[in-house]
Amino acid sequence: MTLRINSLGFQLIGFSLLILIIFFRYFSEIPKYKNGDFVKITSRVYTEPIVYERQQYLTLQGLKIYLPKYPEINYGDTIIVTGTVDGNKLATGYVLKNPKLIKIEESNKLLYGLRQKLILFYKSSLPEPYASLVAGITIGSKNMPSSFWDKLKQTGTAHVVVASGTNVTMVASFLISILTYFFKRKLAVFITIAGIFVYVVLSGFDAPIIRAGIMGSIAFLAQSKGRLVGSYRLLIYSAVIMLLVKPLWITDLGFILSFVATLSLMLFQKIINAKLAFVPNILREGLSTSLAAQIGVAPIIYATFGAFNILSPVINALILWTVSYVMILGALGGIIGLIVPLVGRLILLIAFPFLWWFVEIIKIFG
Amino acid sequence: MNKLITLLFSIAITVWLSVFVTDSNLHIIACDVGQGDAILIQRKTSQILIDGGPSNKVLDCLGNYMPFWDRQIELVILTHPQEDHYGGLIDVFKTYKVLKFGQYNVKSSSQGYQVLEKLVGGKGVEGITLHKGMVIRLGMIYLDILYPPDGTQDRNANNDAVVSLLRYGQFEAIFMADVENQASDGISENTKIQNIDYIKVNHHGSRNGLSKKLLDVLKPKVAVISVGKNGYGHPDPTIIEMLKIVNVKTLRTDELGNIELITNGLGQFTINKIN
Repeated sequence: MTLRINSLGFQLIGFSLLILIIFFRYFSEIPKYKNGDFVKITSRVYTEPIVYERQQYLTLQGLKIYLPKYPEINYGDTIIVTGTVDGNKLATGYVLKNPKLIKIEESNKLLYGLRQKLILFYKSSLPEPYASLVAGITIGSKNMPSSFWDKLKQTGTAHVVVASGTNVTMVASFLISILTYFFKRKLAVFITIAGIFVYVVLSGFDAPIIRAGIMGSIAFLAQSKGRLVGSYRLLIYSAVIMLLVKPLWITDLGFILSFVATLSLMLFQKIINAKLAFVPNILREGLSTSLAAQIGVAPIIYATFGAFNILSPVINALILWTVSYVMILGALGGIIGLIVPLVGRLILLIAFPFLWWFVEIIKIFG
Repeated sequence: MNKLITLLFSIAITVWLSVFVTDSNLHIIACDVGQGDAILIQRKTSQILIDGGPSNKVLDCLGNYMPFWDRQIELVILTHPQEDHYGGLIDVFKTYKVLKFGQYNVKSSSQGYQVLEKLVGGKGVEGITLHKGMVIRLGMIYLDILYPPDGTQDRNANNDAVVSLLRYGQFEAIFMADVENQASDGISENTKIQNIDYIKVNHHGSRNGLSKKLLDVLKPKVAVISVGKNGYGHPDPTIIEMLKIVNVKTLRTDELGNIELITNGLGQFTINKIN
């Protein structure tokens, strides 16, 4: 007798198996710290430390670490820290008390340094908060004057300084449209995927950019093989891949918001856009995108922070149209600026009116 | 095609904005940098920055008042090497081109100050050692250094702080840094400083700062206290009272945000408060 299982059955079994593995890995990976444990951590820094007035903040191995502002720790550095684990506030996770920075080993990898150089170039070319806004929009740097960061959060626009789907789409479509002039389709796709990878590393390993990177790569790969993959399936694939590699992401707010927002967009954006025919063209896309994303995101934001801005879709509609200009001018100005600073600066100055508009809107509503 | 037109439009706006953002008055801005000092002195595209506050908040202030395309500060003065005065300067030196850096001949061994020194050295900024008797001129702006006398080394860094008198036409302003009572009394004997217009009150309004003797000589019209949330009780009620009795208009950065004074140097000035 032969056992017959159709392809749907295979998929189901495979899927449940994956869930099981993720489950298992989650519980084996969850850090087992006890209060008062003395730990020594040696790790590469995979997200840009957030610099506050007097200290810098980063998380390593599930521990929140606050260190003095100097010496400065950069994205990509490998550092050694010691301290005692303090888990008093379980809700906020484990904190490393009395942390001591033993050693910083600067990374010699090109890409990490490139990020640093780009951010510095933006900040030397434009005044604050415009410089931070460019750095945020183009490569997702969240180090900015705290007053401006607070305003972004208040107005529900902080997502623009998180490199994510829009950025990857722009990078990918820019690369593919140029590369297909010079290379065969297959090679062009391959280089584009490499380009997406470079962009993800450049933007820091945050959940939203990784999700977008994986989704984009799979979509392009499938396309080169002459297949179309449905967007829902892409979303699930990337979630599964990410959770297999790092199951702890399931509790990461950025990860959750990124997936919920994307799903929300897929479900509602077209419908809402069709209903907004009366809205002027330039604002419609932003408004429908924001409204659609809010359907999924707003409840989570409300549950986590206890507040969300009801005007957020309107504010987003007013500013989102500027983002693509800032992204294009920012990327172009940054790359050229690393070679010919003066020309790069001029390009960034052209972005000033867009940035000015963005900041004024945020000031009015913030 | 639409995008191209928008971009061309944007270029046009940028050009117009860069032509129309400056006037020819003198602007003195006490930046709201929290607990600390940062004072921007600006005329057209020339700037002097006295101290940088504790953090990168000073960049907000510079961004707000300097023309958006101007990335050059002609002179930065550090009155004394304490963090609430130099902290933000690290960010300033990183992102602005500074032509000259003036400070008195005292250093600090703190980690942050070492970072600053290394940064200034690495950028090849010209250093000036400031002391009593020096006069610095930038266009029509004159800065007389009133304190400290060359060679003094006090155990208390506050009393080695650089005090300067600004002259612009008929307008005069004094920046007292963090110098304490005794030094204040000493400075009051300087004949240059009678009936001035503006004082940046010493030491964030601390009781150990401005002295009655000095205030009586200066007779300022406006007093600005640069102060933020702190555990030292700054500004002290006795100082506020002292200023009130002699009818000096007193303005605080913790209440008003950035405080901007504008003058044409012909005997009149106005005050703007923008948060």
